[in-house]
Amino acid sequence: MKTMKLEIVTPAGVIYDGDIKQVTLPGEQGEFGVLPEHASLVSLLNAGVIDIETQGGKSVLVAINSGYVKIDENKALCIVDGAVALNDEEGEITSNIEAAKDLLKSAEVSSSTLAAAVNKLDSVGR
Amino acid sequence: MASLKDIQRKIGSVKNTQKTTRAMKLVSSAKLNRTKELAEQSKVYAAKITEMIQDIASNISKHGESLDNIFFKEIKNPKTVDIIFVTADKGLCGGFNSQTIKRVNVLLEKYATEGVKVRLRAIGKKGISYFKFNNIEMLQEISDLSASPTYERAAEFISETVEDYIRGSTDKIIIVHNGYVNMITQEVREEQAVPVDASALTTDAVSTSELELEPDDDDTLLEALVKRYLEYVMYYALIDSLAAEHSARMQAMESATNNAKEMVDKLSVQYNKARQESITTELIEIISGVESMK
Repeated sequence: MKTMKLEIVTPAGVIYDGDIKQVTLPGEQGEFGVLPEHASLVSLLNAGVIDIETQGGKSVLVAINSGYVKIDENKALCIVDGAVALNDEEGEITSNIEAAKDLLKSAEVSSSTLAAAVNKLDSVGR
Repeated sequence: MASLKDIQRKIGSVKNTQKTTRAMKLVSSAKLNRTKELAEQSKVYAAKITEMIQDIASNISKHGESLDNIFFKEIKNPKTVDIIFVTADKGLCGGFNSQTIKRVNVLLEKYATEGVKVRLRAIGKKGISYFKFNNIEMLQEISDLSASPTYERAAEFISETVEDYIRGSTDKIIIVHNGYVNMITQEVREEQAVPVDASALTTDAVSTSELELEPDDDDTLLEALVKRYLEYVMYYALIDSLAAEHSARMQAMESATNNAKEMVDKLSVQYNKARQESITTELIEIISGVESMK
């Protein structure tokens, strides 16, 4: 199985850095998935949820407000203003979901985008 | 000659001051560590965003278009220059604030001789009160940002300036702040925010492949990216200034503690001399009293 590198960086530090199988990003013109060896691309990102499938097959969600992604040479680099990662460790996830929702709400996005993102977050919580 | 009691009181008060300055030094060193950590974390972001701007810029030039984006075009004879400067909200940190203010004054003079209009945007109480006292007008004043900088508020602050730049009401933005070098050194830094000096953005990691852009308009993308870069530059200036402030205060408090110690030593010597003197006089009095009784 091929993998690619993903990095998510905010002014407060690195949120995610690792090898992944696949990632779904909330692009400005709609959500899009990226697999290893994707063509080079730079895109604006809206507030939403980044869905990562890690090398180990685990799913990690990261809520972001607006930012950019650059995909180049099998490496995806996300530069975002703010991000909250949801770890699937017990106990932490509920508070993280709340933090993630607050982050999304603070970003000015249309209600439909917001609803979709919040829905996605809730589905993990269950 | 001061009385014994006076000297004793003086020693007590100096010792108290010493305690305060020592505590302040400890507080500053703790805060400095935290701020340094923040600065380290945000440096990663800087590296990445510069890389991305560089990539897009090189992508544009690859298409044979010149880089004529508003943010990169150097204006030959600027008419208006905005100076953003960062000072602390509090004093007791040696020459930290006055160094920044001095640099701003130098800039003001330089531009005055060139006939360029300068608009000041001040962050930090100390700088604001200085320029208010000297009746120099400031366009924007913000006084509680330098002690606890957040990215959001830094972004909010600079976005106003950037809007002015896009509208054309200013031709250049300069950020002045006193930056952290190491524990004992601070250095006044003067940075031209826009127009962005494209040559300063050089990174080694320029991609060779063609980038597909989405939305498919270099200028919009580049503009948005540069705006974000500027927000970061502002944020970093604030953090850097905060780190420098704490290290400057640490130093100032350290030397204040040392000075207090010296003073206590001097006063103790004085106290002992005075004590001996009074004992000697007393003895003489007793002896001469006894002598006269004989």
